[in-house]
Amino acid sequence: MSLLKKIDEISGSYKARNAWLTFAIVLFIAIIVIPAIFVVTKLFTEWDLVSGVLNDPASMEVIEGAVWNSFSIAAIVTVIDILVGLPMAWIMVRRDFKGKKWLDTLLDMPLAFPTAVLGISVVMFWGAPEGITIPGLGLDLSPYVMLLFLHIIFTYPYMVRSLSGILEQIDVNYETAAMTLGASKWTAVRTITIPLFRAGLATGFILCFARSLSETGGTYIALTMMGVESTFFTGPSFISWLKSDPTMVDSGDYMGAMILISVVMIVLALILLVVVKWIIARFRIPWKKVWPEIGRSVSRGPLPKVKDVITVVFLIIVVLLPSFYIFAYLTEPIPDIDYGTLLSSTGVSFLVAGVAVLVDLILGIPLSLYIARHKGGKLAGILDGLVNVPLIIPTTALGFSLALFWASFGAGDSMAIVLVILGHISFTYPLVVRNLVGAIEEVNPECEEIAMTLGAKPFRAFRTILMPIIKSSVVAGCILAFTRSLGETGATIAISDSVSTVPIYITNLVQDHMYTEAAMCSIVLIAICFVLMMVVRMLTHRRQGRDA
Amino acid sequence: MTILGPSGCGKTTLIKVISGIWTPTEGKVYVDGRDVTNIPMEDRDVGYVFQNIALFPHMNLRDNVEYSPRVKDQGDERMAELSEEYLKLVGMFQRAGMLPSELSGGEQQKVAIARALASGSKMLMLDEPLSALDARVRVELRYELRRIVKKLGITVLHVTHDQEEAMSVSDRIVLMRYGAIAESGAPLDIYRRPKSVFAANFIGETNLFECTVSDWSKSGKTRVTMRGGREIRVSRTDFRPGDAVVVSVRPEHVRPDEDGIEAKVRSVSFRGVYWRVRTMAESSDYIEYDVPADGEVPEVGDTVRLSFDRNASVVFPRPEGGIEEEIRLE
Repeated sequence: MSLLKKIDEISGSYKARNAWLTFAIVLFIAIIVIPAIFVVTKLFTEWDLVSGVLNDPASMEVIEGAVWNSFSIAAIVTVIDILVGLPMAWIMVRRDFKGKKWLDTLLDMPLAFPTAVLGISVVMFWGAPEGITIPGLGLDLSPYVMLLFLHIIFTYPYMVRSLSGILEQIDVNYETAAMTLGASKWTAVRTITIPLFRAGLATGFILCFARSLSETGGTYIALTMMGVESTFFTGPSFISWLKSDPTMVDSGDYMGAMILISVVMIVLALILLVVVKWIIARFRIPWKKVWPEIGRSVSRGPLPKVKDVITVVFLIIVVLLPSFYIFAYLTEPIPDIDYGTLLSSTGVSFLVAGVAVLVDLILGIPLSLYIARHKGGKLAGILDGLVNVPLIIPTTALGFSLALFWASFGAGDSMAIVLVILGHISFTYPLVVRNLVGAIEEVNPECEEIAMTLGAKPFRAFRTILMPIIKSSVVAGCILAFTRSLGETGATIAISDSVSTVPIYITNLVQDHMYTEAAMCSIVLIAICFVLMMVVRMLTHRRQGRDA
Repeated sequence: MTILGPSGCGKTTLIKVISGIWTPTEGKVYVDGRDVTNIPMEDRDVGYVFQNIALFPHMNLRDNVEYSPRVKDQGDERMAELSEEYLKLVGMFQRAGMLPSELSGGEQQKVAIARALASGSKMLMLDEPLSALDARVRVELRYELRRIVKKLGITVLHVTHDQEEAMSVSDRIVLMRYGAIAESGAPLDIYRRPKSVFAANFIGETNLFECTVSDWSKSGKTRVTMRGGREIRVSRTDFRPGDAVVVSVRPEHVRPDEDGIEAKVRSVSFRGVYWRVRTMAESSDYIEYDVPADGEVPEVGDTVRLSFDRNASVVFPRPEGGIEEEIRLE
């Protein structure tokens, strides 16, 4: 308590607050932003290696193919997400029905699954991979189509969440007003509500696109199970594949190829972010032309019902069933699991995720406060943009870049665990800060101002007034970041071979075709995640009850 | 016509059902004798203006007003004609190219009304159209609204919880309470001859006394006894001696009188044109009355003697739940 009091006192000083903010900004740039894009400098210092790859047509073909696959899959997945996400957002926001809470929870489930697990589950469900005894649908899908199905699963919740968030803020009266003026439901939605969506579409688009672009674990596992990991690549899976082949690692080609694909993915992703923002700021969804007859016919009769049914069926068949299919392994006899390794890798996973989230919070709070309370300011705008950078960089490229950055300071394998944590901080930081900024913006600054006129020092006002108000958003952000870290494969692999988190352990099992063991470990991991989420929820609930 | 009532009485529900935004769980809606219950809102041709205005923020004023003819596919010429006509009617034609966010609240609401009118409907629902606006704008827009409606000769249902607004804009007031119509009538009638204690208290300001009828003659002359035993004369009624009643007297009908009821001044407040004096009578009833701004104002603690014009008093049977319960707003 006395420490808190001391901080309260110190926070009264303008200089101390500024110093703290500066410290947080400097750390943010030094350990998150710069390492994430450091690899770009290698393009110049290691040009020989890179040009070696550039002059090798065979390697270039593979790299071009991988980049094309990554971006085209991300684009297709995002478009599908928008198409099926819009009606789902309507169902979640504008409808009231029994079981809505259930649906709400189910929607988020895929986010709690490590993507490596999803990779196994999806291939099991749609295909019939060799070595798996559980019958699936047995479709002979191409790797490309299989990856589309997989990527839809873990991007869909992001899209529905961002679209619902915006729809909630669009006054339902706009639509009603349009309808009392004679517009059919369809026309009203098309000419009024959808055009008001722009910001939400941008957020959803960037989140989904970036998530699909950077996903490694699930993609690599799916490709491995289909036996095409050395012939079919996405950008991140190419990096994983390079890493997994010890004969490659020592050759100069390896370094060149790694640098090249990382830089290409990072630069394209950054360009895309800017372009998407630019387009969405200028693009207006056209509303001037109307077709009253068409609008009428699709607003009446069975069509709206059919649309809702398709939306729900899509959710169940494409998103939920393939995610949960791995639980079918529970019907099999339990194999011998190497519990020692499983437990130790679980320990490592939790350590990494826990420390990362903690650092996210400590560094993220002053920055979030600054961004949220200086909306429209120049520095706040720049910081706001920078926070998004690690979010859209493929995590594999990010991990590779970060490892190079710290290696240049002489950080070797003994520091591996620290580097992995730093890597996980990078890509979870935006999730925590986004949530914090959103929550703080919602709170009237007068609440804190009143506390301070009543004599509270700034830090005390923060922890006794603002913090309790935004607590649920903070917890949500932390859970999101924690599970995201727990499920991450790509960055961990790219940073170090010696740190074995659970997803890495599962990936290794799959590579050795020990599917039953991999599935059981996955189920254990999911169970741990759920228990953890429940405990956190219960704790926050109980505390709220006591405070009230 | 104004629909007036305290919050939560069902005013907005009523006009949302009439306009088709909500479907009634039972009962039917008739417009001009025609059953429209099953006609969806987009075909019902009932204009609706929202309390929070709800101009489409991504369209300029002209596009907002042209929205209805546009979605009904009435052609570009007709669209331009209608938007010009109605934007001119509300005095916003000069600014047709502006976005709603560039306008003040009052101006936005005028455009919202123009937009509803451009749909060609002969019925307009106004859901507390003025309550989101500043006090002064609110009062000005009242007259503007009445002028527009009278000029077009359309039917308007205007929902409000502001009794002053109701009295100044409408030809007829419908007073609602607990989801039902309590009473209705022309503003002046309902003010002078309310049919319930609730109406007397909600529309305008009034003093209420719990009394018992002590004397009644065939011609209707009635005397009542206040708490504390003082007997006063009230307007003609049909009550019989012994009936429990409530007497309502508006402050403007109370005046100082040497032979009146003795009361102690509790507070005096300045209201611009007059002073409002709040006193407590020996019967422990509060009595409020007004003194002109340049009149002789008593001080707090003074004792005054008051009486009232008996023909201006209204007598009601005493409500079962007591006065407090009867005049409760929520």
